[in-house]
Amino acid sequence: MTWDEVTVQVQLPEVVDQISYERVVMNAGTTWDYVPWHFNPEYAKEHGHPTIFVNTMHLAGFIDRVATDFGGPYSRVVRRKVSLLGSIYAGDSMVARGRVAGKRVDTSGDVPRYLVDLELGIFNQRDELCCPAEVTIELPNVP
Amino acid sequence: MVGTRTAPRYAGTAVSGARIQHFASMVRDPNPSYWDPDFARSAWGGLVAPPALLIGLLMPPPWVPNGQAPTASIAVRVPLPGTAIINASNDAEYVLPVLEGDMLSVVEEVASVSQEKKTRVGTGHFIETLETYYRADGAVVATCTNSLFRFTPAGDR
Repeated sequence: MTWDEVTVQVQLPEVVDQISYERVVMNAGTTWDYVPWHFNPEYAKEHGHPTIFVNTMHLAGFIDRVATDFGGPYSRVVRRKVSLLGSIYAGDSMVARGRVAGKRVDTSGDVPRYLVDLELGIFNQRDELCCPAEVTIELPNVP
Repeated sequence: MVGTRTAPRYAGTAVSGARIQHFASMVRDPNPSYWDPDFARSAWGGLVAPPALLIGLLMPPPWVPNGQAPTASIAVRVPLPGTAIINASNDAEYVLPVLEGDMLSVVEEVASVSQEKKTRVGTGHFIETLETYYRADGAVVATCTNSLFRFTPAGDR
């Protein structure tokens, strides 16, 4: 996809990912984030959570996957803002929905950057918003 | 500690294709920039590290041979009460792609510490940090503002 081809306000396809215990433990292992929320169900339960949950990097990686699936392999995430409102637990579904919020050309540097702003939300299977996100991707453009 | 900038904290090893693909596998991201060396080389100059993994690339391993606890993020070194941490928000700008083979470092700064807050998970402080990530040649690859809640869980009181 090129920047010219992007239509503002278009909805992104919904993406659903099933989060198993294996995925949550893999999350801790891949990111070297061994805070006990992410691997120890007893600790999580003792502190008011139903079980272990994924970390910020996993949520961000899912958001980036959705963003670059939309933009194509030549797109690149150049900014991402996330807020952690709720957790995605082992056994949950992680659901991404979003839209194209805008497109712009950044001429502040030596080379113009062709940018697309996305608004995304990660929901659980109960349709609770766990992680709203703003993502900007840079796309190639046909001169 | 507000306003204090840390000395650079260095990753112990260069960014590896194994870590790139382990993370992409965990997220189930088929982006060829992470998987296809030929595509990645032609598009970016090499296999790309998923931007979301950047903080993880600077995480110290949980055990090292000399027995000394590796230096953790400054957010968990601020002298405050609280036995648990959980992230509240993160705003990152990725200036340049990080590639397989890059050696990375990070400089951190405590931007602010909130007054004590009571939340549904416990009582504690929000610690906002500014992080600047560098490549070995000095180029800034990313900047990040992170808000972390350091707290005593209700069950621990």
